[in-house]
Amino acid sequence: MTLTQETLGARPSVAPFAKKRHRPGDVVFHAVVLGAVIVAISSLIWVMWSIVKVGVPLIDWDFLAVNNGARPKTAGFTSALRGSLVVLLITMLVALPLGFGAAIYLEKFAVARQQVAARRAVLLRDRLANERGLARVGTSVRLIWARLVGPLNRFVDINISNLAAVPSVIYGLLGLAVFVTFAGLSESLLAGGLTLAMLVLPIIIISSREALKAVPSSIEQGALALGSTPWQAVRGQVVPAAIPGMLTGSILAMSRAIGESAPLIVVGGVVFSTHIPSVNPVNAGSEALLAMPLQIFFWAARPQESFRDLAAAGIVVLMIVLLLMNSVAIFLRNRYSKRW
Amino acid sequence: MSTNTKRFKRQKDVRTGPPDAAGASIQVADRTPESAFTFEDRIPRGNVATVPLFELEKVGVTYSGNPAARDVDLVVPQHQITAFIGPSGCGKSTLLRCLNRMNDLIPGAQIQGKVTFAGQDLYDPTIDPVDVRRRIGMVFQKPNPFPKSIRENITFGMKVNGIKPTDELVEQALRAAAIWDEVKDRLDADAYSLSGGQQQRLCIARALAVNPDVLLMDEPCSALDPIATLAIEDLMVKLVDQYTIVIVTHNMQQAARVSDQTAFFTVDGMDQGLRYGTLVECAETKKIFTQPEDQRTEDYVTGRFG
Repeated sequence: MTLTQETLGARPSVAPFAKKRHRPGDVVFHAVVLGAVIVAISSLIWVMWSIVKVGVPLIDWDFLAVNNGARPKTAGFTSALRGSLVVLLITMLVALPLGFGAAIYLEKFAVARQQVAARRAVLLRDRLANERGLARVGTSVRLIWARLVGPLNRFVDINISNLAAVPSVIYGLLGLAVFVTFAGLSESLLAGGLTLAMLVLPIIIISSREALKAVPSSIEQGALALGSTPWQAVRGQVVPAAIPGMLTGSILAMSRAIGESAPLIVVGGVVFSTHIPSVNPVNAGSEALLAMPLQIFFWAARPQESFRDLAAAGIVVLMIVLLLMNSVAIFLRNRYSKRW
Repeated sequence: MSTNTKRFKRQKDVRTGPPDAAGASIQVADRTPESAFTFEDRIPRGNVATVPLFELEKVGVTYSGNPAARDVDLVVPQHQITAFIGPSGCGKSTLLRCLNRMNDLIPGAQIQGKVTFAGQDLYDPTIDPVDVRRRIGMVFQKPNPFPKSIRENITFGMKVNGIKPTDELVEQALRAAAIWDEVKDRLDADAYSLSGGQQQRLCIARALAVNPDVLLMDEPCSALDPIATLAIEDLMVKLVDQYTIVIVTHNMQQAARVSDQTAFFTVDGMDQGLRYGTLVECAETKKIFTQPEDQRTEDYVTGRFG
């Protein structure tokens, strides 16, 4: 039926809209969710305030860069701050290349590799039928390997997510067994950095894969259609487009690493050393493992009030470092927000 | 007869000089895309010798065992525009992607039959698919510039192919795609700052910059407005003297306007519970649109298709 003047005129009168009414359920729900926010935020603010109130007056240049004593008067954050810096640097140097590499392989090349292996398996199987003796053994081995590529890729794929959920203490035990005992690195900054690198590796891989996945495939296809090799397409177009996301995820992973204390305790971190560690990562193998969370943990456990105040100051410093790192991540995310 | 003389004149216009000559400005004034189509709207081109470039023999494609196209026999002549038309799901794009081995990149895709390019088997295991894709360029349905500057969009293809990216070559590519005048003052601006039609012409420029033999275009105008569409159609006619163009299109007027040869595909295999594309008919465009041999072609081009 078309709408003409006549058909419109013949329409029955339209029923009036319902009046706005009071819905008690809405009000209750509103109150509940608002209450949840208030409880969460206010408890956070209260904790922060109680720490900042005590800690901030204690922070000065001596606390950060000079003091290194055993008494409350002479105690400072110098060694811990330097130690954390070196540990973070080592973690970054190890975990970023490994994590980015693994993410690029798993996201961009594993499937193609699997397909090639599957095709090769078919060829090898046909060849096997015509072969005798030693050649047969060689072909069999290659056939088994070709068949293993797919399941291996899937196994790695599944277990990276599982590894991200493993408690950090377990990584501490791994670091103790592998780096301290087996590799003989002793309880050094190097061992701590490597342990934390293992801890954040799955997180970096997962977040980098997500960033790579977010780059539309049309960009990669466009590059391939110009006659670039798969590697050129990934290196020249996909990775540059994904790098802000990959860095954002990695910085957040690094801020997790800098706040971790449990694995460092297991690896054998110390809390007091008369020697101020060198910030040169080359020397990390011979420096005792010192880090900010360990120092805070130690001070907070001491009975003296003055040490607890120092712990508060340490917490403030750690928090400032964390906030700085997170703001870099947020800046990167906003600066290079998705354009497709 | 008046149309014939006009065609002749336009033909001369179009065919003088290389496409990168100064005549990069585009004339669209005398054609209105919205008006009813007549075959005389065709962008005129002279008769060109038919030299087969692609030869397809019983070509089929399956995705994880499901056929997407089957038994296609087709010849694409050099320096002509060949249009693939047909309803959705008839395998036009799938077939187009066989012509430069883009289907290799889709997991589970398998090709049957034989595709030869200038006499060479395109799927010979000793042939490098990377070189195939360089020689046979592609423009996609949705403009897909790289998220970089306009200049970098052009130079990427040159770099990966070992061409030294000079300013002259960049300008030449942009001129060939009739976008130079619009971007010459902002070559370092982000490619995403261009309009959709400009982005698509940038993608064409990018493809031309690596100096391919063939340009495959997969519905290049489906995301564009009529003005940009006409600009790209005029561009195709300009380019075909140097390149061979294969275009997939849903727009029959477009096929009629620009192509020399048209291949009509349809969906088949419904009675076996399958859905794959087959070639119904391939002939000179005028013949397809005025006196097709197959009833299905006639139904489709006259708009009576179900």
